[in-house]
Amino acid sequence: MSELREPCVPGLFTEEGGASLLGARCRSCGTPYFPAPSHCRNPSCAESALEPQAFGGGGTLWSYSVANFAPPAPHRFDEPFRPYVIGVVDLDQGLRVVGQMVGEAADMRVGARVDLVVAPIYHEDGKAFTSWKFELSRGSREHA
Amino acid sequence: MREVVVLGVGMHRFGKTGDEAVGNKSVTELCRAAVDMALKDAGVSWRQIEAVSAASSRFSGGKGWGLNGNDVVEDLGGTGVPVYNLSAGCAAGGNAFNVGYSLVAGGIYDMMLVVGGEVMPRGMIQTSGVEDAADPEFLRQRCVGMPGPSFWATLARRRMHDHGTTEEQMARVTVKARQCAVGNPYARFRKAVTVEEVLASPYVSDPLRLFEICPVSNGAAAAVICSAAMARRFTRRPITVATSTVATIAFDDALPRSLAGPVPAGPSLHTEARAAVLRAFERAGIGPREIGFTELQDNTCYYELAFPEEWGLCEAGEAERLVEAGETAPGGRMPINPSGGFVSFGEATTAMGVFQIAELTWQLRGEAGARQVPDARVGLAQTNGLGGNATAAILKR
Repeated sequence: MSELREPCVPGLFTEEGGASLLGARCRSCGTPYFPAPSHCRNPSCAESALEPQAFGGGGTLWSYSVANFAPPAPHRFDEPFRPYVIGVVDLDQGLRVVGQMVGEAADMRVGARVDLVVAPIYHEDGKAFTSWKFELSRGSREHA
Repeated sequence: MREVVVLGVGMHRFGKTGDEAVGNKSVTELCRAAVDMALKDAGVSWRQIEAVSAASSRFSGGKGWGLNGNDVVEDLGGTGVPVYNLSAGCAAGGNAFNVGYSLVAGGIYDMMLVVGGEVMPRGMIQTSGVEDAADPEFLRQRCVGMPGPSFWATLARRRMHDHGTTEEQMARVTVKARQCAVGNPYARFRKAVTVEEVLASPYVSDPLRLFEICPVSNGAAAAVICSAAMARRFTRRPITVATSTVATIAFDDALPRSLAGPVPAGPSLHTEARAAVLRAFERAGIGPREIGFTELQDNTCYYELAFPEEWGLCEAGEAERLVEAGETAPGGRMPINPSGGFVSFGEATTAMGVFQIAELTWQLRGEAGARQVPDARVGLAQTNGLGGNATAAILKR
């Protein structure tokens, strides 16, 4: 990997030790969070007890859509704009997350197994700015 | 609580900057036209208005501070009236109506003006107004890029998975909406379309197409409301506000509004809209099956399928059949958006809650012409806005 990579927003995710989202979970009520808030927001939670938790690994595609046209700012993208797939993924760790999908819409299906990855979303100043994305798991790709 | 009525309503036809409907009119000019019409319809003068409740815009007027009610008062001539500027994203018009209703119902004022208007920038709405890593909406757009149409498209895709909804069934919602709009002089798109034309329009966000998503529009709407006691001096057939409610999103809402949330154990619903509407049923003592017609926030035709089910107007999974059978048309069993809806008007974001009050009033008076719901007696209105805002209102005659 020769190009310089930098997160599009620092502190939200990491590639070290496998792609993961830097969130939190409340020890009292079990609610998962991404990004991490300063305290548990569950109104039914008796006492906020947040601890850092990394979310990653596999999940199931709850639904998806395509950005057929370039979204307005503050989104950033490489010119010329190429439509991309947006997934809503239920991670096995109990977190429902939105993110861009690696791959084409024709290969997607609701219920497919996916994995969290970190990949570029745009380039600027000779650097690749990355975000979290989801990729169809090997088995899902073969069956698509 | 006193009974509140709608005494008069007004609207400026919706359009896009430069077109025949709105030309280059400013938001103040659009609001003025709507307010003048509402005052005339009510038979009251500007000086009789005791307070103004206005929707705050972040796109036009308001001196950049959302002071859109102050713009209206300046333009009409300062009488020293109290002004309430309400911000609730696209639900702001509904919020403005709710605050006006609450103040009249509570006996603070007898006669109020409610108003909302917009001149919208071109293209998709820029949902986040700040570049701030602490703002979840900024993170969602920077790290993912999921504008409104893509959010709705994920919900539509999920519905296709859950209920077997076809693209043709979704297109039929637009066909019905445009047919209604043919009979509405205030609609932006007044030409009927066929299923084939809808399905030939390009995807904005697959599976939703251009004709199935509301664009942004310029437009304005206004309503004069007053106590039932005062209304007797002006009209013999006032439209009664059975109730007006506001709600916000629940913690366990599982729809992908932000970056992430807990995977739900149960269904994924629009908790804010559902709470506002169910609260309205309860407070008005009017059940979902007693609603004669509904004006709901159809940013996309998906909502005409999903919302009636989420609120109990029909059974889950029944909406597609009702659309195909013509039951959601003005003459059907469950009329939805006889105005033509957002899909035919475009969204003048903060005006929409007041736009719905105007349409409900015309329908309940029997003044809706070709789009008239026969013998309309009870109407429901609902809006949704960024930030997890929702409003509902039930009007009756």
